[in-house]
Amino acid sequence: MKADTNISEGSGIPAEARKTLTQIETDRAAYKRKLIISFIILAIAMVTVLIVLKLDFKFMKNQLPFIFAGMGYTLFVSFMAISLACFLAVVGALGRLSKNPVFNSIASSYVSLIRGTPLLVQVYMWYLALPQIGKALEGYGFTGIQAYFTLPALTAGILALGVCYGAYMTETVRAGIQSIDPGQTEAANALGMTRSQTMKRIIFPQALRVIIPPVSNEFIAMVKDSSLVSLMGVWELSYRAIKMGRRHFQSLEMLITVALIYWMMCILLQYFQEKLETHMARGDRSIR
Amino acid sequence: MMENDSPMVKISNIHKVFHPDMHVLCGIDLEVKKGETVAILGASGSGKSTLLRCINFLEEPTAGTVEVDGIVIEAGENDKLRNGRIRDIRKRTGMCFQAFNLFPHMTVLENIIEGPVTVLHQKKEAAVSYAEQLLQWIGLSEKRDEHPSRLSGGQQQRVAIARSLAMKPKVMLFDEPTSALDPELVGEVVEVMERLAKEGMTIIAVTHELHFARDVADRILIMDNGNWVEQGPPEKIFNNPEQERTRQFLAHIL
Repeated sequence: MKADTNISEGSGIPAEARKTLTQIETDRAAYKRKLIISFIILAIAMVTVLIVLKLDFKFMKNQLPFIFAGMGYTLFVSFMAISLACFLAVVGALGRLSKNPVFNSIASSYVSLIRGTPLLVQVYMWYLALPQIGKALEGYGFTGIQAYFTLPALTAGILALGVCYGAYMTETVRAGIQSIDPGQTEAANALGMTRSQTMKRIIFPQALRVIIPPVSNEFIAMVKDSSLVSLMGVWELSYRAIKMGRRHFQSLEMLITVALIYWMMCILLQYFQEKLETHMARGDRSIR
Repeated sequence: MMENDSPMVKISNIHKVFHPDMHVLCGIDLEVKKGETVAILGASGSGKSTLLRCINFLEEPTAGTVEVDGIVIEAGENDKLRNGRIRDIRKRTGMCFQAFNLFPHMTVLENIIEGPVTVLHQKKEAAVSYAEQLLQWIGLSEKRDEHPSRLSGGQQQRVAIARSLAMKPKVMLFDEPTSALDPELVGEVVEVMERLAKEGMTIIAVTHELHFARDVADRILIMDNGNWVEQGPPEKIFNNPEQERTRQFLAHIL
């Protein structure tokens, strides 16, 4: 039998059981080994493909600083948009759960409309169609208003992403709030708390724990969807990559480069997500 | 002008109708004097929890009047100040639930000071010092900084009692406080309730715990299908019940 450090003789566990435990350990180790080997083979395959395709690695390396310079825009747009989305999601969720018919109907329509239309259309709506609305309003006597309805590309992109993700996240937040045991609301009510105190002190802190993982997912998705602002000529990561690829007729190199950059960013974000989740899980029985 | 022996809780003609075919409370009256301990017994589904929840308006009565410590609220009345009056009643009534319902994201101490600080706007230091007295009183001082998930059911229920007491309530409502507990943990909760009764707290408890009903309660009420079947001192109810329904019910729980 192979050496097993955990399960020694004389621990009161019968030989039969020890044999089974050792077997389970061995199987688990073998699985882990095979998993790592599979990953390595996949990585080798990917690199091989890149070599076989005769990629111009030197070109990729030379263009890297130029592409990387777009990172600032990508992160800026993502962070601004997710902040807006979080705010809209909380307000939207309260609206969806509200007994006030006006507030409720506005929130429900917002979610339905935004989730029912493509993000691409929404981006153009903010950037290209909004000035036309401004123009129409000027026709009704609101002079000078068109300037406010003509948005810079960056602003339009942030609004489009934030409003769109806010709608999806509204449903996430609503589900998170509804997942909290009604007994919590009852206990808070029984102490004499108002509705807003109950929400702020009791329900929301608990719902946050449920909401964090899906919201992190949304954020990771948004970092990639931020590439849509390139449509409006913002010099972010993908815009630069596409532009350079076209100019030198080396789109494959540029697209692979920018794809890898996005991938690395998302791996990093995923790592922070896991950290945050562990942190949020304090006091939770399931973690201990 | 309130007389000294006016009831702490007075419920008149309470009805609760969930659906037209679910008439849970059928015109219930109940008066509980200051310092009195009342145990409500009855088969499951007889309406006793609903009645208890009507006292602090966790359940809105369909008809009737609730009066707690001089605050009177009519069912279905439509008045701007009503929610505030309901909160006034809730501030004066502590409630303990079958499932404890402690706040899992707060420590034991934070659970206990939450009401005084958030609802009564007490200074945090004052609330903490009173919470520490309460923790000592329930014998859980050393659990002060634990989260509820680390406590046993009995300990959680004792903390829930302390959380209610931190509001310095005039009445304590217990909704089957020991039903979710392992048998060996029931005693510690009942012991706390018993001390509370001895210190003069007005208590209304929905419970099947025999020791509490027989030895602690001043009065027992039996409910069936949303009506009172019988009420009286424990000796009479247990030894010499008048109603056949009471006898049947006691045969089940004894």
